[in-house]
Amino acid sequence: SEYDTLGTSIKAAVVYLATALVKLICLATFLKVSESDSFDPYQELLKALIGFIDVAGLYFALAQLTHRNISQNHKFQAVGLGWAFADSVLHRLAPLWVGARGLEFTWDYILQGLEANANLVLSISLAALGSLMWLRKNKPKTLIPIIYVCAGIVATMPSITSYLRRGLGWHFPKIVGFELFTSLVMAFISWQLFSACQRPSL
Amino acid sequence: MAPRKSPRERQMLVLESVIALVFVLVACVELCDGATVVDVYHLIQYDISGAPFGSRLAGLNHHATSLHFSPHADLSRTVLLIPLREFNISFVKEYIAENKPLGGLLFLLPQIFNFENKGEVGSNHLDGTEELLKNVLAELEQILIRTNLPYPVYFAFEDDNINAVLADIKKSDITGQPATATTGGYKFVVSALEPKSLVSPSITNIQGWLTGLKAGDDAHQLPTIAIVASYDTFGAAPALSVGSDSNGSGVVALLEVARLFSLLYSNPKTRGQYNLLFGLTSGGPYNYNGTRKWLRSFDQRLRESIDYAICIDSIGSWENELWIHVSKPPENSYIKQIMEDFSSVAEELGFNVNLKHKKINISNPRVAWEHEQFSRLRVTAATLSELSAAPELLEKTGGLIDSRHFVDEKAIIRGVKLVAESLARHIYGHQGKNIQIFADNSNLAVNPYYIRSWLDVLSQTPRVAPFFSKDDPFVMALKKELEDHTDEVNLQREALDGMFTFYDSTSAKLNIYQVASVTFDLLLLLVLGSYLIVLFSFLVITTRGLDDLISLFRRPPSRKVKTA
Repeated sequence: SEYDTLGTSIKAAVVYLATALVKLICLATFLKVSESDSFDPYQELLKALIGFIDVAGLYFALAQLTHRNISQNHKFQAVGLGWAFADSVLHRLAPLWVGARGLEFTWDYILQGLEANANLVLSISLAALGSLMWLRKNKPKTLIPIIYVCAGIVATMPSITSYLRRGLGWHFPKIVGFELFTSLVMAFISWQLFSACQRPSL
Repeated sequence: MAPRKSPRERQMLVLESVIALVFVLVACVELCDGATVVDVYHLIQYDISGAPFGSRLAGLNHHATSLHFSPHADLSRTVLLIPLREFNISFVKEYIAENKPLGGLLFLLPQIFNFENKGEVGSNHLDGTEELLKNVLAELEQILIRTNLPYPVYFAFEDDNINAVLADIKKSDITGQPATATTGGYKFVVSALEPKSLVSPSITNIQGWLTGLKAGDDAHQLPTIAIVASYDTFGAAPALSVGSDSNGSGVVALLEVARLFSLLYSNPKTRGQYNLLFGLTSGGPYNYNGTRKWLRSFDQRLRESIDYAICIDSIGSWENELWIHVSKPPENSYIKQIMEDFSSVAEELGFNVNLKHKKINISNPRVAWEHEQFSRLRVTAATLSELSAAPELLEKTGGLIDSRHFVDEKAIIRGVKLVAESLARHIYGHQGKNIQIFADNSNLAVNPYYIRSWLDVLSQTPRVAPFFSKDDPFVMALKKELEDHTDEVNLQREALDGMFTFYDSTSAKLNIYQVASVTFDLLLLLVLGSYLIVLFSFLVITTRGLDDLISLFRRPPSRKVKTA
C-alpha cells in the first residue's frame, strides 16, 4: 500500500523498548520487593504512576516522530500494532520458549496468548484515544472529558488487573476473561468516539 | 574481480549471524523441572568374578503403573511403582524367575528406613507392622542383590508428593486406563549416564597402637591383645547402606574401649603390661579381605606376640545373650581363659555368654567371621556377636533394614562393659576377684553420650568401601578419633581383591511428569487453529469485505498476454 505502515510499526516498537527500559530503571529505584503476594496500595500507586511513563512513550511515538506518508486514521493503528507486538514479544516470548518445551502441559501459555490478544486490542484503542487527544485539533467540546476518562481507564488497566489478582485473588483464567471483555468494551467505545469526532468535517 | 559487498549487505550479514547466535544460545536452555522431583537410590550393580548381579541399567524414561495393572498389560515399557506396604514377595520372585521384561522398578520404602529421617530412635519395641516390613524388606534385599536384572531398579522414600502420585496412578489403573503414550499419565524420567565400573576400588585399614608398660627388661617384647572391628557395609542400595548394627555398633564399641584404656594407660601407674592393638578394618562383607591384608602386613614377630584378638561384630540389638565364636577347639588354653573372663563378667552384669565353635575349612574361600582370618595365620581369636549363626556371603552386612531405629544403645553399652572388664581382668590379673574397674558413676564409666553421638554419625554415613573417595572425610575422622586415644596410628591402603567389580551408579533424581495424551494435543491444535482462522477471517471481512476473503483462495486469473 502507499502508506508506510511497516516503518511506523517498527518505530513504535523501538519506542516501546526505550519506554520499557526507562520503566525498569524507575521500578528498580523506587519500588521495594514485597515478600507476600498481597495487594499493597502504596506500591500499586507507585506502579500506576510509573505506568504513565507508558502513556508518555505512546505520545512520543504518535506525535513527535515524523512518519512518512500516513494518514491520521491509519497512524494510530500502525503505532498500536507496533506497540502491542513489542510488548508481547518482550514479555511473553522468553517464558514461552523456556516453559512450553517441557513434557508437562499447562494451560498457562494458551491463556497468555489470549491475554496478548486482549493487550493488542487495548493498545490499539489507547493509541486511537491518544491520537484523538493529541493529533486532532477540532474536537466537539462535549466529548473531550469522555475521551480523557476512557484514556485514563485504559492506561490504568495494568493496575486494575494486578489489584484483581492480588487483592481479590482471582485466578489467571478469570483475569484473562476480564481483560478480553474490557478490551472489547473499550475498543467499541473508542471506535464510537473516533467516528463521532470524524463527523464534523470542517 | 569479485564485487565488494556494500555496507548495507555487510550490516545484514552481521545481523543475521547475531540472530543465529541468539537462537543457538536460546536452544541450549535446559528444560524446566517436572511437577515433582524425588531423590531415588539405585540398586547396587556389581560382578563377582565376571558374573553380573544387580540392576544393570540406570537411565529411565517410561510411563508408570502400579500393582493394579491389568493382567495382560505389556510392562516392557513401563515402570512399576511398588510401595513396600503392599508388597507381595511371591510376585517379585515370579517376575524375576520367569525373566519377564520390565521397563523398571521403583520401590517405595517407609520413612523409618530413611537415615535422614530424625524420627524416634533406639526403641527395641517394634510394633507388629514394622517387624513385618523389616522381614519383607530383608527378604527382598537378599533376592535383589543375587539376581541379574536388566532394567533399572530404584528405591525411594514415601512422602506426600509421591504418595499423591501413587494414588493417582492407582485410580487410573483400576479404571483400566494404563498410562501409555496414547492415553497420557505419569512419566518417570531419570537422566543418568551409563554406569561405569569403578577402577581399582581401595580399602583402608586403620590401626591404633597403645603401648604397655615395659617392666625394666626392654629386650623382652610385651604381649599384645588386639581388638578389631570392620567398619564398612554392603547393601542393596549403596547410598543407603549405613549399617547401624552391622557393624556400626562394633566400631562404636571399639572406640569406647579405646577411650577407656587410653585413660588407664595415660598414667604409668595404671598402665598394663600388655600392648593394645586396635584395628578398624575394611572389606568386611567381602570375606574380610581387609583383615587378611592387614594381618599379612605384620611381621612374624608381631604376629607371634599377639596373645589373642577379640573381633566385635554386631552388638547393637540383643537382649539377654551374646555369643563368642571361635575356630580353635574349646580345649585350647587361650580360649578357655577368654571364656572364663567373659562369662564371669557377664554373670555379674546379668546376661549370658555362650561359646560356639566352627571349624574353618582352608580350601573354602568363604570367611564367615573376622576371627577366621586370624586363625588362618595361627593367631588365637574370637568374635563377639549377637548373631548365633554364621551369615552367608553378603548377608547381615548392614543393608537397607539396618537403620538407627532398630539399634539399642543400651545393648552397646553393656557390650562395651563386657569387653572392657574382661580385658582388664586379663591385663591386670584380677581373675576370680570381684573388682569393677569401669564402674558406673566413676570417671572410668562407659560414656553413653559418646556412644550415642558416634552411633548417630555412623548411622548417617553410607559406608560401602568401593564408593569411598581417596582421603574420604569419614575415614579421616575415624583416624583422628583413634589418634586421640592411642599412641600411634597407621593407615593401610590396599586394592580390593579382583573377585568383586563395582559400578558407579548410586543415587539420582527422579522427575515425575504428568503427560497429556496424543489425542489431547491434536484436539488442542485443532481448537487453536480454528480460533486463529476465525479471527483472521473476521478481520478480513470487516476491513476488506467478504469478496476479498474468498479471493484469497481462488487462483488469480491467468493474465492473457496481449499480442502486439
